[in-house]
Amino acid sequence: MGNKRAHFGIARATCALGLVATLLTGCGSDGDSGGGVTKLTFAASTFGDPGRGPLLTKWLDEFNQSQTKVQVSAAAVPYPTFGQTVLTQMGSGKGPDLIRFDMPEFEAASDAGLVAPLDKVIDAGKYDLLKQPDQFMVHDGVRHGVIFEASNYAMFYNADLIPTPPTTYEQFTSTAKSLTKGDVFGLAFRQTEAEEAGVWQDIFNYVYGFGGAWSDGKNLTINSPENLKGLQAFKDLYDANVIPRGADAATFRRMFAEGKVGMELNNGGYVTATRGQNAKLNFNVAPIPFPVRKQGAILAPIVINEASEGKDEAGTFIKWALEPQNQVKLQEILGASSVATTTQRSAEALKATPFLPVFDGLTETSLPQIVLGFEAKTPDIRKVVVQNVVAALQGKADLKSALDRAQQQASELVR
Amino acid sequence: MRRFRFGVTARIVAVLVVLGVAVFPLYWMFVTALSSNSDLFADQPRLTPDLGQFGVFVDALAEGKAAGWLLNSLIIAVGTMVLSVGLGIPLGYALSRFSFWGKAVLTVVLLFTQMLPEALMVVPLFALFRRFELLDSLTGLVLVNSAFVLPIVALILKGAIDGIPKELEEAARADGARPFTTLTRINVPLIAPSIAATAVIAFFHAWNEYVFAVTFIFNPDLQPASVGIANFIGELGTPIQTVMAVAFLFTLPAVAFYLLVQKYVVSGMTAGAVKG
Repeated sequence: MGNKRAHFGIARATCALGLVATLLTGCGSDGDSGGGVTKLTFAASTFGDPGRGPLLTKWLDEFNQSQTKVQVSAAAVPYPTFGQTVLTQMGSGKGPDLIRFDMPEFEAASDAGLVAPLDKVIDAGKYDLLKQPDQFMVHDGVRHGVIFEASNYAMFYNADLIPTPPTTYEQFTSTAKSLTKGDVFGLAFRQTEAEEAGVWQDIFNYVYGFGGAWSDGKNLTINSPENLKGLQAFKDLYDANVIPRGADAATFRRMFAEGKVGMELNNGGYVTATRGQNAKLNFNVAPIPFPVRKQGAILAPIVINEASEGKDEAGTFIKWALEPQNQVKLQEILGASSVATTTQRSAEALKATPFLPVFDGLTETSLPQIVLGFEAKTPDIRKVVVQNVVAALQGKADLKSALDRAQQQASELVR
Repeated sequence: MRRFRFGVTARIVAVLVVLGVAVFPLYWMFVTALSSNSDLFADQPRLTPDLGQFGVFVDALAEGKAAGWLLNSLIIAVGTMVLSVGLGIPLGYALSRFSFWGKAVLTVVLLFTQMLPEALMVVPLFALFRRFELLDSLTGLVLVNSAFVLPIVALILKGAIDGIPKELEEAARADGARPFTTLTRINVPLIAPSIAATAVIAFFHAWNEYVFAVTFIFNPDLQPASVGIANFIGELGTPIQTVMAVAFLFTLPAVAFYLLVQKYVVSGMTAGAVKG
């Protein structure tokens, strides 16, 4: 009986504690300014990357210490739901003040008027902006973003497992097959709908590397013969079991860092992230050995939220970020990626990472992973294409039918 | 006698198998958290934890972020449990004992709310929360979680109250008890096991909730553990051992809570099975 009473006592105490704690903590909210300091939040999925995240936070601290009016802190938005979360918040008139978007979400946000025009905030003519990636920051003469990171895709390979990198698709396939044994896989890429954005990034290289394109600028060309050829190559590798099927990017990237994966197609940002996971890994980089030298590029603009109450202060941060010495620091943090302006890689950086010129040499042939002519619709088209390609990988449909279906569904979306 | 022993042995084996299936994910999380990098993807997986790697738990807690996330989760879960059960008891009682206009419709509407996915409600609720300045607050999450779990709590408790003979209440009323007194003095003690069961449902719903928490909370210091753990998943890399260590810690308060109330839940399952 006494025991029963004691249990009820605990339950009552727990309930009371919960109520009091809830009431006490409930009304917490961060003020935008205090003591004349404007507090801004900056959302970037990069903050979660091993190696890059902590360095980027220090870079923000440098800005905060460089002046006394504005304080920028990292907004913690998890990468798996980053675009969806931030767009929902911005669409409802809230959200972070500064955002580092990937291109599909940047296009969607710009088209919806959620991004503040930057023409009055920064004088673009004052900076030596990289022309190729910067052209995608301007829509109908209005600047919506500044490149935060531009990173070309290349082939990363474990130099201990692969002394000489493949230079043709046939060599690429045979290397992947010969390496796959035991707990080692020749290759890794994303292959599940749960990683929709990642699958899109991966298949982009196969489509463009085999001479295809998602559109001709006016019409969608999802089911073109070239696209079918590229995606068939992707599916052949999947069917050959040379990848760790079912493993997500977090897992197989860790496997690459531990020497369990031979090759991976990835962007320059992966250099720092990989070293952050295993500084001793002996890896190298070469151009993707597909028939056509065309590959994807991560273009990640930094933008100001139209709903932000501190647009001018956010502009102060962007101007600080564009200063030459801060661009160099940012580039060193981001690894083999480029930044908004032309910067010289230091002799130390080239010595530590001799393959940096490989990435730089790919800039002219790299394309942002958007559907040209249908930029704002890219997230919707991406969903349709990835759903159908994954269905083909899983044997639910043959690849040609899957692409025909994707073409039809996507055409209805953009009509 | 031999048949009896065989039966006991078979039951023990069956219980151990079920226990193994239930506990294995937790154990595997613990083993993964305490694996070295080379063990993580070894051909032969390591089956026992490497206690030399225990520092991963210390590192996970070192910055204080994980402890803060767990505290936020606890506040949200306990707050949701208290609010939804506190409102669910009178609602269930009203649905069970009173006749009023629209009662059938209300019951159907309560069921209908259970069919709405959270993702569908994020945008309208975001606008509503903004209007009432509930964004970036744990109170907001307690309210939204309670709103989602209250219907199921009320319907379960209605069913439990339906099972109580009305004669007991009539006797109390004959002694001058008002409806509220009847509810608190007669019904609540009798449906205590069902209340415990609904408390478990409400607690776990709020403890695991992610979609509202990730969208409605901007301040990193107010994030619950379900969102905090996801923060470790980077675009280009994920510290798997750290994720597993925090995820393991995330499960412990929930397990402890269940152990605390399981006696009532189990007695609820057997209540009325034997009548003397």
